Amino acid sequence: MRPNSIAWERAAEVHEAAQGWLRVGAVDEPTADAIRKTFPDPCVTPSAVWRVLTACVVAAVVLCTFQAVSIAFRPGKIGQQVLLFLFAGASLVSANLLEASPRFARRGAAGAASFLGVGFLLIGFGLFLLETRHMRFDDAIDAILIASVLAWAASCWRWGSPLFAGLSAISLFLFLGRLPYGRVLWTLAGGALAGVAARRLDEGSWAPSHRRSAAVLVVAGVVAAYVAVNLYSLDEHLLEELGRFAARRIVPSRGLIVLSALATAAVPLAVLIWGWRSRRTFLLDTGIVLLALSLVTLRHYVRIAPLWAMLTLSGAVLIVLALAVERTLRRAREGERAGFTADPLFSDERRQHALQILPVVAAFTSAAPGPAAQEKDFTGGGGKFGGGGAGEKF
Amino acid sequence: MNPDVVSAIARLRAENVLSGGQAALFDRVARRKLVSVRLELRALLYVGVLLLTSGVGLLVKEHHREIGPWAIAGGIGLVAAACLVWVIRKSAPFSWGEVQSPSVAFDYILLLGLLLFASDLAYVEVQFMVLGPNWAHHLLVIGTVYLLAAYLWDSRTVLGLALTTLAAWRGVSISLISGSHWAADAGHLRFSAIALGTLYVAAAALSVLLKRKVHFEEVFANAGLLLLFGALVSGGLDDEPAWGLWLAALLVVAGVVMWLSFHLGRSLYFAQGVVAAYIGLVRLLFEPFRNASGLPFFLAALLGLGVLALIFAAHRRMRER
Repeated sequence: MRPNSIAWERAAEVHEAAQGWLRVGAVDEPTADAIRKTFPDPCVTPSAVWRVLTACVVAAVVLCTFQAVSIAFRPGKIGQQVLLFLFAGASLVSANLLEASPRFARRGAAGAASFLGVGFLLIGFGLFLLETRHMRFDDAIDAILIASVLAWAASCWRWGSPLFAGLSAISLFLFLGRLPYGRVLWTLAGGALAGVAARRLDEGSWAPSHRRSAAVLVVAGVVAAYVAVNLYSLDEHLLEELGRFAARRIVPSRGLIVLSALATAAVPLAVLIWGWRSRRTFLLDTGIVLLALSLVTLRHYVRIAPLWAMLTLSGAVLIVLALAVERTLRRAREGERAGFTADPLFSDERRQHALQILPVVAAFTSAAPGPAAQEKDFTGGGGKFGGGGAGEKF
Repeated sequence: MNPDVVSAIARLRAENVLSGGQAALFDRVARRKLVSVRLELRALLYVGVLLLTSGVGLLVKEHHREIGPWAIAGGIGLVAAACLVWVIRKSAPFSWGEVQSPSVAFDYILLLGLLLFASDLAYVEVQFMVLGPNWAHHLLVIGTVYLLAAYLWDSRTVLGLALTTLAAWRGVSISLISGSHWAADAGHLRFSAIALGTLYVAAAALSVLLKRKVHFEEVFANAGLLLLFGALVSGGLDDEPAWGLWLAALLVVAGVVMWLSFHLGRSLYFAQGVVAAYIGLVRLLFEPFRNASGLPFFLAALLGLGVLALIFAAHRRMRER
């Protein structure tokens, strides 16, 4: 990243923290103003709505222009590749220029341009390998995945988008999955990636967005390692399906199955302990999700109880657990225990409001019975969240 | 640790911008010596409620013959009542202003109670056919109960449920936009969506004007605009001869929404108006070109540039709230 961009990002971090302090009344408006003057941030920073809107429109403009030129000139195979590379170059140069300008750096346009630029580049490269170099399909896929790892990683380093770090990690694991011993490579590379990235989470010399990208890489590494050791994934040969050639369906030995079952149980707990000890909420969240997946895996192999009982019981356990944790934290001295609190601190309550609005969207996405539907076909209120849009038929 | 904020706090303390007490607290949080798990607790409660209600739904579906209708209806009703009694006991006095939840759990126990109530009512309707051929009206009852509960206990989550349940009562869901219902009774669904959407937007305006639960405005208005634009866009993209009228209505409504939201400082409503108008205009651009031509794409790109200029200008001048 450019030194200026890093400096702007650092100032933006302080502004965001000050906004949180102001929101809960921990500082007054004059103090917040003084903080903003001490750490000036020249960038125009629109809200997420504006950024998403701008990014979508920029994407529409670029894609429509590409399509218009494609249709107008009707290029041949090589011409199409040249066009893709031209658009890739133009998009990446635009992203670089936009990112250097305080007026445009955080509007969403630079992000959309860089994303499309890398996309054009990879598609052009793929077509070049397949149509010009006449490479075998499997070889081309490998080459594209390697290019994808490098291109997204370089973009992440240049423009600091955590999304690009995630795409680079996904490309890396897809590539590793295609190699012999892909499962072993996923385990080793996942563990190594999580370990290396975790060391950079608090690295002061890194830009804030690079530290966030490191957090994404930690999650990607942990998830990859978990998928590799998960019993269901092993049993169903999920990773072997990624292989270059027809997946070899070797029945795993009993020892390997036991080891995998133990790892399926141990990895989520290890991640939870790691999150607890380091007090990193994103690791706690990852651990909770992996634990849920492990319980689903357990249910798949061991029929402890019928599905309805498992759902009801796990729902009740989650509610009781959350209530118990909240009560423990509330009753603790000064409302905190082991460095954790149930108070919102300086977090943005808008995120919680977004959670509350979520049911609206959830219900709109499910089919609802209309008055026109005359069949006596009940759609229950509790099955799928959203009441009216529920999907359980009695 | 957030090293940028940690070093900033040290500097602000040295320059006396922050007091010693402020700096100590902020530093603890920035160094992750004090971490909030409020969001995680909320997420656990939310997922817990979903799993529990799904489990109950599945139990009823699989075993309603063995258990018997009275036992099921009574059992679910009892649990729902227990939840709602807990909510009544814990709730703060009613106010037309915003009321803080007494605890993190409050909203979710309320949600659980209402979802179980809805399941129970639906089960009773299926088993005992109380409403007969008008069975769909049970959604109206549930939606009304949700609406009352949302106002009584000040819950945006429940208000969202109420609005979608009322929309479902009129047969409106995302299916209107996705196209699966287009062939069936698209016209009827569209008019229902427009009527409900207008009603919700009016409720949003009234919330603000009458100062009655002003914070509900966002939920009402977003749901209303989704319905309104969903119906108008689906009409504008349709192949029926009247698509031009739908498109004209879409552009007028989108223009009005953009103008109003600009003056009210509501970026999300403005964005919905922009997206809806852009989709409608793109359809208009493509209409004369039935064969493959690059011109409409070029015009769509130019239109996009115009939209970008509009977005930048609106953002510069809008006083966002």
